[in-house]
Amino acid sequence: MATNESAGPLSSKRSKTRATALREFLRGLFRILRANPLTLIGFILVVIISVTAALVVLVPAVTQVVLGHPVLFTPYDPNGLSTEYGQAPSGSHLLGTDNLGRDMFSRILAALPLDLAIGFGIAGFALLVGSGLGLVAGYWDNPRTFGGVVSVVIMRVTDIFLAFPSLVLALAIAASLGRGTVPSMLAVLLTWWPYYVRLTRGEVLAIKHQPYVVAARAAGTSETRILFRHVLRNLIEPLLVYYTLDIGTVIVTFSTISFVGIGVPLDVPEWGTMVESYERFLLTLPWTVLSAGAAIFVTVLAFSLFGDGLRDILDPRSRRALVQAAIPSTLPAKAFVAAEA
Amino acid sequence: MAEPVLDVQGLSVDYEVGAGTFHALTDVSVQLTPGRVVGIVGETGSGKSTLAHAIPRLLPEPPARIRSGRILFRGVNVLELPKWKLPLLRGTGIGMIFQEPINSLNPAYRIFDQIAEAVTVRKMRESGEAPTLFPVTEPHDYSRGAPVKSGDALLRAVLPSLPKRLRSAHRQELMEDVLDHLKLVRINDPETILDLYPHELSGGMRQRIMIAIALSAKPSLLIADEPTSALDITIQAQVLTLMKELMDEVRTSILFISHDLGVIAEMADDVGVLYAGHLVEFGPVEEVYTNPRHPYTKLLIRAIPEGYKRSGPLPALAGSVPSLANVPPGCPFHPRCPLAKNVCTSDPGPVLEPAKGASSRSHLAACYFSDEVARLP
Repeated sequence: MATNESAGPLSSKRSKTRATALREFLRGLFRILRANPLTLIGFILVVIISVTAALVVLVPAVTQVVLGHPVLFTPYDPNGLSTEYGQAPSGSHLLGTDNLGRDMFSRILAALPLDLAIGFGIAGFALLVGSGLGLVAGYWDNPRTFGGVVSVVIMRVTDIFLAFPSLVLALAIAASLGRGTVPSMLAVLLTWWPYYVRLTRGEVLAIKHQPYVVAARAAGTSETRILFRHVLRNLIEPLLVYYTLDIGTVIVTFSTISFVGIGVPLDVPEWGTMVESYERFLLTLPWTVLSAGAAIFVTVLAFSLFGDGLRDILDPRSRRALVQAAIPSTLPAKAFVAAEA
Repeated sequence: MAEPVLDVQGLSVDYEVGAGTFHALTDVSVQLTPGRVVGIVGETGSGKSTLAHAIPRLLPEPPARIRSGRILFRGVNVLELPKWKLPLLRGTGIGMIFQEPINSLNPAYRIFDQIAEAVTVRKMRESGEAPTLFPVTEPHDYSRGAPVKSGDALLRAVLPSLPKRLRSAHRQELMEDVLDHLKLVRINDPETILDLYPHELSGGMRQRIMIAIALSAKPSLLIADEPTSALDITIQAQVLTLMKELMDEVRTSILFISHDLGVIAEMADDVGVLYAGHLVEFGPVEEVYTNPRHPYTKLLIRAIPEGYKRSGPLPALAGSVPSLANVPPGCPFHPRCPLAKNVCTSDPGPVLEPAKGASSRSHLAACYFSDEVARLP
């Protein structure tokens, strides 16, 4: 995305250093974000959320090593009881305190790493397993071959999982495994991958019949190379976008399991558990349940906006359009005119 | 006569689908000698594209099934090659240009990467790093242009493991090759085009890129499957002019497939006429067009609208192409043929043989009454 006053000889254009390439990338990113305020909000929120989560985990760990005793990043101990129970939000307690005198702001922050890890981890596991299986099932689906049999087996197993509503299945698994963080994570993990299989297989089926795949084959490209270079490359965008949108959904599902009361134990700060345990104070201490709910809402929203923006940025077709929307006369527009002339 | 590059003998291809078996090609034989351009013309559904895709074994099998025949490409029977060897045949051996330039380029890569891929395949095969079926540099001869440099084999062997910035020498070398081919297809300002994505180019530009990709592998046989049908008429003329010029520069054998008699007349040396999967006439273009020896060819040529004459209705061909699931016995054209007699309806139908009354021995027609065709209106 070089500004093109110097459409000079090829060599000078090619020999740009990595630093300028990075600067150009960042400038392009900045233009896109400026042209799309919602994407910008999503990006900022995701950065804030990620940094906060990192601080919540790292500050006690680092101080433990450096000072010999942990210093919490949160203003209060998230599980520390006090006599200041049921206080409304104020300067000393930003989000108030709950019925046991615990600082709500500290509890919300303390729950952030767990909920984020659950979102990223479970969706990531589903992405890896699901897209791998989907790729196999979609690419080698010729009937009456070994690959075709494997494909059918994968898809029927997937169908079995999809036959149950994922939340109901996750609840059933969580309930049978007993209360705890790990069992409820396992429950979501087991129910989450089939959606990725379906999505990936559908995309692969569509991509592998595209003329450009046939053209690549006609050009002498080997099947493995086609799979990685042509099929996988065009899969990345839909999968990555679905993944970022899915992080929010996973958090909500996990919170639901906790909300029903078979998820995370009560002493572990977790947003879903908090919403469940504070639900009866909705009228008396509304800030408790509302702040936990708002935390879920903001996180899900942030990743949805982030995912939407990511789709625009990853797709070369809309990327140029976005940049051009921000700054009307850029290289491609001129190049296009030149090409047509 | 020189050894043919491509020798298709009695090729029959079926499509086996739920609705039945479709005989897309029946006993088709085509020969291509080096440097010659053979056109294949026919209506929609006559099996043109099946033929084009069958030669480099690009048909999806199933549903397609090659029932019988032989496809000899430079002496190798393509139908007997194991599946894993097929990619070695394509690209440098048989190149292809497709009908849809819009979707034939991967939307995720810049033009440079797309051409560089084909160039890399060819270079690897030339230097012997990648296996190949034939000596790559042999019969395609570019009458113009410097001979190909054989690169530093050692450098290229370790290239994939090198970090990107160390590959720049290799990239520079590729770049020259890619630019050469962009210039070959008459693209102005190729340096700018390199950095663009396919969607930023027009249909005509994309088809030029496709041609550049096909030629950059330097195939000994180029199959052009309706390369201009998806383009509008002015762009079509540009691309055809380009291809015509390229034929003089790049002496490769071409199998040119089109539904357009005019395009074939412009491009080809020989023409084959396909009807319902049967090759009904074959011969030098001039011969076939001025003195057709099969009633179908005759009627097809008559059906070309001439200018903007307003005298009466267009002389369209009565009836329609038979369903390929249900090809008539004997000569497939007999239900629509004004010359049809009883003999035409019985199996086996007429075979392709030197036409009676034709001035050249190489003019073949599959008709019992080829000497009577001239009397048709």
